[in-house]
Amino acid sequence: MKTYIARKLLALPLIVLGVSLLVFLAIRMLPGDPARMMAGPEAPEAAVEAMRVRLGLGQPLFMQYFGFVVHAIQGDFGISIRSNLPVASEIANRFPYTFALALTSYAMAILIGVPAGMAAAVFRNRWPDQIVMLLAIAGASVANFWLALMAMNYFAVELHWLPLLGAGSWKHYILPTIALGTLPTALIARMTRSSMIEVLSQDFIRTARAKGLGSFAIYRKHALRNALIPIVTIVGLNFGSIMGGAVVTESVFNWPGIGRLLVDSVRYRDYPMIEGVTLLAVVSVVVVNFLAEMAIAAINPRIRLT
Amino acid sequence: MAVHVKALRGVALLCLAAASVAVPGYAGATTLTILQSEPPRSMDPADQGATFTGNVLMPMYEGLVTRGEDLKLHPGLATKWTVSDDGLTWTFDLREGVKFHDGSDFNAESAAKSFHRLMDEKLGLAGAGRLRPLLKTVEAADPKTLKIELTRNYPAFLDLLASPQAMIVSPSEAEKGDLNRVASGTGPFKFVEWSSGDHVLEEVNPDYWGEKPSVDQLKWTWSAEQSVMNMALQTGDADIVNPLPPVFAASIENNPDLKLVTGNGSAVFWVALNVQQKPLDKVEVRQALNYATDRDALVKALLHGYGTPADSPLAPIPPYHLDGPQPYPYDIDKAKALLEKAGVPDGFTMSVAVQEPEANIAEALQGMWAKIGVKLDIRRLESGVWTKAAFNDPEAKKADNLGSVVASWSSGGFNPDQQLRPLYDTSSWAPSGANLGFYSSKELDDLLDTAASTAEPAKRKELYDQAQKIVNTDAPMVLLYVTKDLVGVKKGVDGVWLIPGGDIRATYATKSSN
Amino acid sequence: MTAAEETLSEMDAPRSRTSIVMRWLLRRANLVLGAVLVGLIVIVAIFAPMIATAQPDAQDLMNTLSAPSAIHWFGTDNFGRDIFSRVVYGARISLLEVVISVGISCLVGVPLGLIAGTLGKRADQIIMWIMDILFAFPGIILAILLVSVLGASLFNMMLAIAIFSIPVYARLSRNVSLGLKEMEYVEAATALGASIWRVMFDHILRNSLGPIIVQSTLTAGTVVLAAASLSFLGLGAQPPTPEWGAMMSDGRNFLGVNVYLSLFPGLAVTVMVLGFNILGDGLRDLLDPRS
Repeated sequence: MKTYIARKLLALPLIVLGVSLLVFLAIRMLPGDPARMMAGPEAPEAAVEAMRVRLGLGQPLFMQYFGFVVHAIQGDFGISIRSNLPVASEIANRFPYTFALALTSYAMAILIGVPAGMAAAVFRNRWPDQIVMLLAIAGASVANFWLALMAMNYFAVELHWLPLLGAGSWKHYILPTIALGTLPTALIARMTRSSMIEVLSQDFIRTARAKGLGSFAIYRKHALRNALIPIVTIVGLNFGSIMGGAVVTESVFNWPGIGRLLVDSVRYRDYPMIEGVTLLAVVSVVVVNFLAEMAIAAINPRIRLT
Repeated sequence: MAVHVKALRGVALLCLAAASVAVPGYAGATTLTILQSEPPRSMDPADQGATFTGNVLMPMYEGLVTRGEDLKLHPGLATKWTVSDDGLTWTFDLREGVKFHDGSDFNAESAAKSFHRLMDEKLGLAGAGRLRPLLKTVEAADPKTLKIELTRNYPAFLDLLASPQAMIVSPSEAEKGDLNRVASGTGPFKFVEWSSGDHVLEEVNPDYWGEKPSVDQLKWTWSAEQSVMNMALQTGDADIVNPLPPVFAASIENNPDLKLVTGNGSAVFWVALNVQQKPLDKVEVRQALNYATDRDALVKALLHGYGTPADSPLAPIPPYHLDGPQPYPYDIDKAKALLEKAGVPDGFTMSVAVQEPEANIAEALQGMWAKIGVKLDIRRLESGVWTKAAFNDPEAKKADNLGSVVASWSSGGFNPDQQLRPLYDTSSWAPSGANLGFYSSKELDDLLDTAASTAEPAKRKELYDQAQKIVNTDAPMVLLYVTKDLVGVKKGVDGVWLIPGGDIRATYATKSSN
Repeated sequence: MTAAEETLSEMDAPRSRTSIVMRWLLRRANLVLGAVLVGLIVIVAIFAPMIATAQPDAQDLMNTLSAPSAIHWFGTDNFGRDIFSRVVYGARISLLEVVISVGISCLVGVPLGLIAGTLGKRADQIIMWIMDILFAFPGIILAILLVSVLGASLFNMMLAIAIFSIPVYARLSRNVSLGLKEMEYVEAATALGASIWRVMFDHILRNSLGPIIVQSTLTAGTVVLAAASLSFLGLGAQPPTPEWGAMMSDGRNFLGVNVYLSLFPGLAVTVMVLGFNILGDGLRDLLDPRS
């Protein structure tokens, strides 16, 4: 257990290092003068010169990367070409919206996925199981932005039940949450089902049943603990897909999070912003994954995720 | 390791922040929500040139003169003005007792500072281009008198003073360097917040010198999604939608709870052809493209009838517009024959730069021109990126291999010089003007100069008719259509008016509760 | 189902050959369903010119945004193009995306994993470090980063999607080769002077083809979704390519007037991804009974 944690802890900075290196190199691969690209096409020559110094152009690539890391650690990701504001403050303004949406999506996934998965396990191979599994595979296959569009069309355009853009009241959360939460709901349902089936077939359950304990008591006793693993696994290890999904979902719903910020920045060729958002999104995914792995190891020491 | 620890702390902070996401607003206040198609680019009126940014800023700022609902100019921060006989010296009497939103006093000194920002080349404000070459000196003669010396006689100077770029900004806020994200003017509304990516909120300025607005707050939001613009109006998320995509105009008109406000738009859409690029250097090729363009179909399919086919470089506004038959009626055979004559019987490939919302124009043209073998390579660009690509100089355009640009121009339509000169005169080659295809005709240049200094209306009209014929024949562009301005408004909201070209004014709009 | 049960049930089955096949198929309903859905898409893609009722790019600006009718089964889009025909031709684009993206990621990922597993030590560490880095990125975000550098086009998008799928194949082939290396016959073969690469490569192909096929099928679904998402955002296929994601992106401008523009391409994406996912599950049950 200790060596496992130690190994993971050692790997974490290596991955973060690699991720930042990849982002750094990707942006340096742009054709043309990197200082001009990062300062923006309309920036005066003096600003481009300042950017040249900041980027350390002319120095070896390794030193340039080192400077990039030092700036990043100080929370300095440069100035956005589009808004002229510091990249870091723009991201700090936007990230809470993405985070809030991730939270509601996970809440939906847990509140629907766990009971559905349990029901499927209990009624294994009977109609509730088949329906849940069908919905689960459909939920994992549907394009979330298409679902978003159809939900918008029905609930907002046709029925006028829900608002459709922005992030004002709680009602604004409903449609984006459904769009973003469908995939984790499907995954949690599937995983809950298989882990429950495994538990139900274990000897101690059979013993408990033989002893005459009621089914409900058994499920309640063993289900909760075993539901935790799928939850933590999906919530933690699929944080990346939430981040990825947020990019599209936010663009559809005009959600002011970092996903839309990234898409807008690409359209505007706002490279400092692209660099900053990508880096922060990926690092947060890496960290959340790491925490999830630790949590899983704590809940069930036998599980080792590579 | 430092990265890791920092990131963790960041996540914790963000968790806290997420719990407090909320939009301010107070109960009982009347808020007018206006949805536009793009976000504001800056809170500094001089550091931008976008129509939809100007709309957001105009309720918070005032200029020396103001354009009224009658589209005429009225006193603003200046109560009256005089101009010297040579047209070079303007003297403005300023309004007294006016305060900026930050509490500082408005006077000739602060007005002068506002103009000095425009003249400061080092500051490089993005919207200063039209005024800077005109302004020689701006100074306070006394606390309530502003004197402006121009570099040349420019009768339409007052028009420029009513534009967003010439709005008077608070000097103290400007010195702090905050104006790009915090607005501070003298207008009837004052800045509350700009939530990046979501909205700009403005509230009534209780200290405003003039008539108080009827609503308490203006909330500006934006969405690039056309359907969102329609739905927001239908669901009541927005009170005003500008511009309303034409595809939804009919359903708005048919909805008893909504109103369609239309303006005779003066925006002419065309495709500027790079006449320096082969084979566009041949006039037959350019004419062929014009013949291969089915304008009626464009108006029907893209504007859903809310517009007219363009038949001249000028908008169809009397008296200067050249009335007459469409010079290039849709005729595929003629187009093919012209291509053959030009030595490109099988057509050619051409790139076109187009802004995202106008990409449908390029895609429709792609389909039309494919019939004469012209393959259109569409570059769909975000408007800022488009601007850079479209206004590149000949060298850069050559390097970029940019053959054409979809563009539109609205000049108010009353002065043909403001449309023909920037678009077709040799001196207006991009980047200094909007002659995006580098068209050059000595004959036209001379005509425009003569016409501009001709006062006699009939003679003037004749000269401009001739100019339009020359441009039509040389066809440095493919004319498309003239749009109507469309704004969707909720029933119960009144007092919204339009300036041709996409400007809306909602400062004194009223909103009844039902 | 254990092997014993399987034999038993086969013995109970009626002697008719077809009914044995039928029962086998019924027990693997998901495999069949998946194969049918994917097969449908493949057939539509191959015979697109015969199935489509119109040219996918043919505009009719006088008849735009029409509802489904006898002539235009799915209606027409904002340029009067036949949506049905565009969806049909879109199957070709989507299959192309799958073949190119999965192909590239397999061709790069599998050899990388093989090298890592066979060489071990430092090479293994470096290769897998790079793979872990790529794997840490949410696929879409990595693809957006790459497309923002390379420029938006169908091919660049496929390349970007291929890159984020590489680690899956590298990990898979590495695990197989690690296991193989320990096997006696590999040791024996190399002891007899055969090149370890030759031996490994032969055996890898033989032993990991199953898992690679399962993985490719599952990745195919992800590829279709990612491609649709990127094209939807305007970062993939460019007009007038009848790419499903791009079509939905056009369609969203007309929600409230015409829903069919986004409805049908979205259904097509869902059917295709569903097909690959169900087929992948089925193949995994078939080829890898442990999981």
